[in-house]
Amino acid sequence: MTVTLLLEQMFNGLQSGVMLFLIAAGLTLILGIMDFVFLAHGAQVMIGAYAAASLTALTGNFLVGIVLAIPITFASGFLLEFLLIRHLYRRDHMDQVLATFGLILFFNELIRIGFGPAALFSDLPKALSGFVNILPDAPYPMFRLVVIIVGLACAIGIHMLVSHTRVGAMVRAGANNEAMTAALGINIRLLRRFVFAVGACFAGVAGMMIGPLTAVEPGMGEPLLILSLVVIIIGGIGSVRGAFVAAVLVGMVDTMGRVLLPVILRSFMGQAAADGAGPALASMMVYILMSLVLVFKPTGLFPPKG
Amino acid sequence: MDALRIFLDGANRNRTLFVLLVGFALFPIYTGIADLPFWNDLAMRIMLLGLAAMGLNLVLGYGGMVSFGHAAFVGVGAYCVGISQYYGLFNGWIHILMALGACGALGLVIGYLALRTSGIYFIMITLAFAQMLFFLFVSLEQFGGDDGMSIDRAEFIIIDLWEPLRLYYLIWAALALSSVLLMFIVRSRFGVVLQAIRSNESRVEAMGLAPLPFKITGYVISAMICGLAGALFASWQEYVSPDIMHWTRSGELMIIIILGGLGTLSGPLLGAVVFLLLEEILPEVMHVVAPSYAENWMIVFGPILIAVVLFARGGLMGLVHQMTGRRR
Repeated sequence: MTVTLLLEQMFNGLQSGVMLFLIAAGLTLILGIMDFVFLAHGAQVMIGAYAAASLTALTGNFLVGIVLAIPITFASGFLLEFLLIRHLYRRDHMDQVLATFGLILFFNELIRIGFGPAALFSDLPKALSGFVNILPDAPYPMFRLVVIIVGLACAIGIHMLVSHTRVGAMVRAGANNEAMTAALGINIRLLRRFVFAVGACFAGVAGMMIGPLTAVEPGMGEPLLILSLVVIIIGGIGSVRGAFVAAVLVGMVDTMGRVLLPVILRSFMGQAAADGAGPALASMMVYILMSLVLVFKPTGLFPPKG
Repeated sequence: MDALRIFLDGANRNRTLFVLLVGFALFPIYTGIADLPFWNDLAMRIMLLGLAAMGLNLVLGYGGMVSFGHAAFVGVGAYCVGISQYYGLFNGWIHILMALGACGALGLVIGYLALRTSGIYFIMITLAFAQMLFFLFVSLEQFGGDDGMSIDRAEFIIIDLWEPLRLYYLIWAALALSSVLLMFIVRSRFGVVLQAIRSNESRVEAMGLAPLPFKITGYVISAMICGLAGALFASWQEYVSPDIMHWTRSGELMIIIILGGLGTLSGPLLGAVVFLLLEEILPEVMHVVAPSYAENWMIVFGPILIAVVLFARGGLMGLVHQMTGRRR
């Protein structure tokens, strides 16, 4: 275990953290602000990944593929809200669970029909497939670095959008008191549709960025959905800032746990036993982290005021 | 005679449940005549899932506690069978007792810790505990790890299990007994308090009752019923792997309950019947209607679930009540 390797894994943790944030940011607004249990948010990640992968293959250019895919994800969130979600706001949480679970099945199957059940692998663009030295003699994949930068840029964008724009103020006002905000002449319905579309858009971007790093396949969004729910809980439901801190924390703990835990276990267990137990125990770390946070801060690290 | 009166009244109020139970009791006669042993297998799977869903419904539907980790109890119940067989214990009755004990104890610990939170935090913390148990069993190489372990048929002294129908009726008996037990629980003082907590916890407190012991007790009973389902599931499948406690299984249990009707005695079983029958029938239907998409039956299944939410308030039991003109 060298310093270089540790640094590399820290970057990997940061990378998975910022991607988790992109997914969790929209979800925390939907869940925390609109009080809507939206399980199909993972499907938005998948839609983004498929849109980008197929458009990249079609146009032969990664950047063009991404630029064309973003409006698709925006439209999918917008349409979904318009067609189904708006009829479910006033319903019981459990009804929302069942309906959005139905959506997951529908989207996964739609993708399976359209693109086949096998995973899609997209080649990295040549310009992004090299390595950069983050320290002297510490090469790091260029594309992962780009993912981190894009993720951080989006995070700043989300922060600016929520805290420093008129629309953001409306969203926050709507969260605080919906009836009062509506009485001030703000179109709450349109605002909700906008939040859904933007949330879908960021989730989609996350899908586009992790697509080339992992397998683009039907059902790829659900494990990410669960992890981003963990992020939201740790961060405090409805808090964008909390979601960012928690996402990086979860990304780091997950990645570092996977690397370090087998090494630590090997020092007092047999090699085979450690290799068997290590990854499973590492997967547990995130949930242990969440339980610990909830024991000491029952409403998350940054509970929104009010 | 008081118990008998309550039983008859409960049976009258929950006709759907009792119709289903009688149906399951008579079903093997039909499959025997028509020579369709596969359908017996399906019926057992439906009963097992229905039993687990019924257990979860006590906390989810009646107690208003949305537990997203109940598959863990099913899994622990199943592993009680696997692990005791690993150590040479083959008595099925003891397996069941162990599953009840283990899940009861586990439910007590998890319930005690998780019930300090509520709402979405409770959902996530129950998920967290279930995930920890899931990964624990994945990491136990001794018991098969990820691949799971195969199980010999357990020996149920008195009712010997070599004939498949004996297991069928054992599962049926567990389901019927649990149904009657839950019927009594729901109507007891304890059950009434549990439902009162669901509708307004602070009002219950104001009446001088501490909600936590009631909630924990409910959680423990529900965990034990799921453990029972798990132990029988392992005997039925003759195999157990961590997959049985994957979070999607907890989700499936929740979906079955919401589909059938939250907080009704008949709902979970009806939900299990419809859910699993659709899983069997939809591919067949698709095969006829759109042969090239026979494998993609979920494209229809998803919208059916959405339609139930949009058009049948209170799930399928809501629909049943609408049709029979009775209010809940």
